[in-house]
Amino acid sequence: MTELLVKNACVIDPLRGINGDVMDIAIRDGKIVEEVSDAAEVVDARGMLTMPGGIDSHTHICGTKVNFGRYMSPEDMRAGRTPRRGPMHATSGYSVPTTYGNSYRYSVMGYTTLLEGAMAPLEARHTHEEFTYTPLQDTMANTLFDGNWAIMEAIRDGDIKRVAAIIAWTLSAVKGFGVKLTNPGGTEAWQWGKNVSCIRDPVPYFEVTPAEIIRSVVEANELLHLPHSVHLHCNNLGTPGNYTCTLGSMGLIPDLNPKRQTLYATHVQYHAYGGSGWKDFCSKSEPIANFVSMRPQIVIDMGQVMFGRTTTMTADGPMEFNLYRLHHDKWSNHDVELETGSGIIPVVYRRKNLVNSIMWSIGLELALLTKSPWQCLLTTDNPNGAPFVKYPEIIALLMSKRYRDAEFATVHPDTGSRVPLPAIERELDWNEIAVMTRAGAARALGIQDLGKGHLAPGADADIAIYPLKIDEVDPSAEYQKVIDGFSQTEYTIKRGRVVARRGECLVHGSNATFWVRPKVPENYDMSKDPDFIEKFERYYTVRMSNYPVQEEYLSRNRCIETEADL
Amino acid sequence: MKVTLAMKPAAKGFIPIEAESIVPKNFLSGTDLLVWRGNRELRLDEVFSVSVEGEADRAEGVEVVLSGETFRLKRVGEYMDGGKITVLGDIGMHCGNFMTAGTIEIHGNADGWLGREMAGGAIVCRGDVADYCASGYRGGRKGMKGGTVEVFGRAGDFLAENLADGTVIVHGDAGDMPGAEMRGGTLIVHGDCSRPAANMKGGSCYVYGTAREMIPTFKKIGPVQHDGRTLIQFAGDLANRGKGNLFVKNYEYLD
Ligand SMILES: [Zn+2]
Repeated sequence: MTELLVKNACVIDPLRGINGDVMDIAIRDGKIVEEVSDAAEVVDARGMLTMPGGIDSHTHICGTKVNFGRYMSPEDMRAGRTPRRGPMHATSGYSVPTTYGNSYRYSVMGYTTLLEGAMAPLEARHTHEEFTYTPLQDTMANTLFDGNWAIMEAIRDGDIKRVAAIIAWTLSAVKGFGVKLTNPGGTEAWQWGKNVSCIRDPVPYFEVTPAEIIRSVVEANELLHLPHSVHLHCNNLGTPGNYTCTLGSMGLIPDLNPKRQTLYATHVQYHAYGGSGWKDFCSKSEPIANFVSMRPQIVIDMGQVMFGRTTTMTADGPMEFNLYRLHHDKWSNHDVELETGSGIIPVVYRRKNLVNSIMWSIGLELALLTKSPWQCLLTTDNPNGAPFVKYPEIIALLMSKRYRDAEFATVHPDTGSRVPLPAIERELDWNEIAVMTRAGAARALGIQDLGKGHLAPGADADIAIYPLKIDEVDPSAEYQKVIDGFSQTEYTIKRGRVVARRGECLVHGSNATFWVRPKVPENYDMSKDPDFIEKFERYYTVRMSNYPVQEEYLSRNRCIETEADL
Repeated sequence: MKVTLAMKPAAKGFIPIEAESIVPKNFLSGTDLLVWRGNRELRLDEVFSVSVEGEADRAEGVEVVLSGETFRLKRVGEYMDGGKITVLGDIGMHCGNFMTAGTIEIHGNADGWLGREMAGGAIVCRGDVADYCASGYRGGRKGMKGGTVEVFGRAGDFLAENLADGTVIVHGDAGDMPGAEMRGGTLIVHGDCSRPAANMKGGSCYVYGTAREMIPTFKKIGPVQHDGRTLIQFAGDLANRGKGNLFVKNYEYLD
């Protein structure tokens, strides 16, 4: 039995409605408890800001795509080099660091749980192997279903239960957590050299539309009672005028779940563009944020862009090809058989570029204009908008109008006529930031009942203590203190152990992976379905028996069983 | 001031020595420098017999002379900003990385990456150079940004890859892909080479011998007179919307 007592913590724990109370937190064997014995080790938080460990609800840190980003940009490894130190491995890389680089930097910022935004089922082993070497966070993987042949056929046949059954089998097989749709239908169309322009365009050969894919998969997701909702990267990413497509996609979604949203729309900054081309490109954050504010069934994340060098990577192959034609630099394109694809290119977002300046504004506007912080979570779609190490700066921008104005003065001079940002007075408070970076993320991912995102007895003892005294710092004026405070915790506690202190990681750690196994009736067991088996064996390059990821690939195995309504 | 560093026989061996501290400026404050062999840090005098003659108060007044089996000595002259380094024999990889001023003269051969990403100054190699001479870093967009590299022997593959500015001259033959991805500057190969200037964006590449396996995406302009020679001018690389010029004496396309 190991016990730890965190004393004098100034706690913000939004899921329990605690906002700045000074209290003690008792921990036994990795869980929060009511009280501990006098023998407990003591950590004195001295009134510092204490929150549940950070949760990134959409990031790209592990798997084939990320690794190919490393592979094609060896020059990225020139940045962020740190030598081996104590239990810390050597690290390198800035936008696509080594797995240890990701893990240490997130830990130093107080993050303890990460959702990998896109895992191609066929390539799941690579993601799980890299999870093992991301030791200081618990992880889970969104699993890509945007171009899944069997699912599109079931949708064409109008059989939602079969859609659910295929999702159930695949998630169990690849140890996936959530259902991800990336440019639904578009990546499959890309395998024929095409794309879909919006939700009413049919996918070549399959003759289903993105709208049908989104609707059917959302229904199937709820039939399976998955913890997380469908996680959607809308069609038409990065195109001027795409906000109508985004609104159309969100408008498809009924409210089917009382505990959480029915649709999680990711990196919405990239989907909130007005104009008919790059010449009249402008922000449409207002209609998007207003729409979201009126619909509790939708949660979005920002996908904030920050200026500087980074790497873009997504399963949205055709979009990356369009980006490549703009930048004419390096490009990688990848096809994943019957499932999905991907593309990667390095980019530099520049202040003196008008389009980039507008993108930077839009992300902030979404967070400031969406009324409830529970409905707009803080992300950069790491590393697409910026590497996650920029989060402290984003927090400070959201908390300080003065900081925003100072930054706005440095961007392209025409930005002001294209965006509403300068007129927005709102400054988020500490509690709202806590929602956007942990409590809201836990609720949206459906992991609060698994002990994530709050500090109630029974919860995982994942805690971030920041060197900030919230009654002494005025975030509106002292934004540099906010940036510094969120950049480096005083203590990061993971599973009841202090894992990071003032920038140093102290233990090797051990990752746990959350995955879902929906229980389906015998007649919906795809491993026994003759048609599914026949097509699998005919079209995949692997045998169906070799496809599932063995549980040995998971270092700590947190299987979530659900009962499907089929 | 003349600093002579004679490699001690005991320091021979397979493990390379990382010697980025061997830069003229560093000797202004003495010879108390450190180098690495594998994971061991060594004092300069553990590896070399060190002798100093005369005095200097600026890097420009310092000449460092290296002798002995220096072929496994890496990163000599990295970030050098003045003065002179003379290598009497062969030199190891990454000699003159990032140098901005001064002169490096190598009497023997140089291993890979000679003058990588150099920005100024001059490197002369009397022997042959291995691959990636005067090139950029892996994956980087800009290679050498200024200065001159002159090689009297032959060059390996990827000579002046990503060349952005400055001049590179090779008197012998060059290997495959000289001037690949070049975007500026001047590359001159007196001998033969294969696939010159692939994907070039800008700058000028001259081949006074035969360019084998010519890249097909260059547009032939016609003969021009250059330095007393008749060369055939090409523009490209069209595959990269390039605005570079490639001049060759003779050329062959792949059959
Ligand atoms: Zn993403």
